[in-house]
Amino acid sequence: MKILIIEDEKELVGVIKKFLEPEGFLCESAYSYFEAEDSLLSYNYDIIILDLTLPGGNGLDLIKLIKKTNRKAGLLIVSAKNSLDDKIRGLDMGADDYITKPFHLAELNSRIKSLARRRHFDGSNELSFNEIKINTDSNEVFINNNILDLTKKEYEIILYFIVNRNKVITRESIAEHVWGDNISYADNFDFIYSHIRNIRRKIKLNNGRNYIHNMYGLGYKFSER
Amino acid sequence: MRLLQKTNRTYFLISGTVFIIAGVVFYFVISSFFKDQLNEKLFHDIKNITRSIKRDGTLPNYYPFIDIREVPAQSERSFRIIDTLIFNEFEKREILFRQISLIHVINGKEYFIAARDTLIEEDDLLEVIAIVTSSVFIFLLVSLYFINRKLSLKIWQPFYNTLDELKEFSYDRTGFKLSSNSQLYEFTELNKTLEKLTQKVISDYQSLKRFTEDASHEIQTPLAVIQSKLETLMQYPRLKKEQAELINSAYVYTLRISKLTKTLLLLTKIANDQFPEKSTINLSELLDEKIRMFEDHILEKSLTLNKEIKPGYILETNFFMTESMIINLIGNAVKHNITGGMVNIKLDKNYLEISNSGEPLSVSASKLFDRFYKTDKSSDSPGLGLAIVREICRLNKWEINYIYEDNLHKVVLNF
Repeated sequence: MKILIIEDEKELVGVIKKFLEPEGFLCESAYSYFEAEDSLLSYNYDIIILDLTLPGGNGLDLIKLIKKTNRKAGLLIVSAKNSLDDKIRGLDMGADDYITKPFHLAELNSRIKSLARRRHFDGSNELSFNEIKINTDSNEVFINNNILDLTKKEYEIILYFIVNRNKVITRESIAEHVWGDNISYADNFDFIYSHIRNIRRKIKLNNGRNYIHNMYGLGYKFSER
Repeated sequence: MRLLQKTNRTYFLISGTVFIIAGVVFYFVISSFFKDQLNEKLFHDIKNITRSIKRDGTLPNYYPFIDIREVPAQSERSFRIIDTLIFNEFEKREILFRQISLIHVINGKEYFIAARDTLIEEDDLLEVIAIVTSSVFIFLLVSLYFINRKLSLKIWQPFYNTLDELKEFSYDRTGFKLSSNSQLYEFTELNKTLEKLTQKVISDYQSLKRFTEDASHEIQTPLAVIQSKLETLMQYPRLKKEQAELINSAYVYTLRISKLTKTLLLLTKIANDQFPEKSTINLSELLDEKIRMFEDHILEKSLTLNKEIKPGYILETNFFMTESMIINLIGNAVKHNITGGMVNIKLDKNYLEISNSGEPLSVSASKLFDRFYKTDKSSDSPGLGLAIVREICRLNKWEINYIYEDNLHKVVLNF
């Protein structure tokens, strides 16, 4: 799957590539408005990540070009401006999603994969990890073909884990993904622990293995070991 | 004290003093003038009498005005001016006379000749002077008072207009202009200076706001790089515990700055009134929705939630701002709570009260809504939540108050 990252901060492009490439994405980059025009006119992409503040032009204008040359591509807008206007305008012009800088890489990954799923590039609405299967259309999780009885938040957490499998995911990133920005009101992350405890218990009840590993104080990693 | 009062008082004091001094001087001048005139007249009389005695040889007698007696020889030939009291038959009282007397030799005989005339009585003089000066004084004061009042109303009117306009001045009012004009140099200068000053205040404030906004934007990209680098670093296999701890600590602080700049940006935007779109908001539903957002936090702290939300309360305002405000208020009530405490949310017509249990504030409640104000200095939060709430209330002209009552922190909002 081919991704075009339109972003002028080379360092940021570097880490995004490094995070996404092991996920099986083929990443290309454009550092300016003109480079982006070039790439968009020459190639087809499945997903485009577009930073709105670019040297050489306004990112919003690129949306028009993307809609002409890469109509089928999923478009994710990135902006340093946490501005509602940009968001609304971007989404109105045909962007599929919007993320504000700074973001968690796991969150970016999850948004891209969700875009990919929605566009059915995978040809499937099913994600699996060994004995665990997730149907993202019906929002159901199966272990050894037994359906897991999960709350909405537990479902979101386990989906986030599987999308970001083999990666260290921070508690902050999980909290923001599931609870939104208001997590800043939490004194601690105990409320996440209790949800994770419940998920582990429910997996175990259905004879699943525990794939959720604690990573020191950092967070969790969903992996075989 | 008003300017008019002050000038009137000064006028009164100064003219009062001037009139008293003038009265005293006047009195002395007039009385000495009269005495001189009298003396001159009396001398004249004596001269006439002497002449008449020489010519006719008879002694005229107009007592008490002229008094001539033959006196034994060798009397002291002194010339004397005295004031003397003489009984007046008509007025039945003693009246003060000025008397000039001398011993004069006429035709070989010695005569005592005295010419007298009534002196103006001091009391009468004093009375007349007092009446005249005080009536002039009063007339002057009354006219000054009216002149001043008219002047102050007319001439000072542009000044009072300017003052009224300045009272309406606010640092975020772009295009502020003083409308009042006057022909007077002082006032036009004042207005010019004030206009320059207010323009400067406004432009300084604008550039400060722009600076905050630009700075926050500029910080976002480097922060995004740092944050994602740290997240990449976390992915390295076989991290040691100490390494993980170092990364985590750097990560947590990075997130804190990023949260801070996002919040500052939001605060600036609200202050800049960058959320002008209005829509119809069902506040009752919004409250319920936001309370649900916090249910995990409420559960975690074993808080008791009491809701008294009147359904269907509609507000006509900006959705984003209202949402931020509700999240901040509920969030605070949850965060600054004690384990096992309670959160009460009451919505009635035009009235929202959110209260939570907790220890009383250790410091002044009046600063509670200030930027970067924290009750707990070690707290992670930058203390901008209530500043945002206050700014939103200010824009919407809602009234917000904090009280501590029955061991509860109460924030009361009147729409």
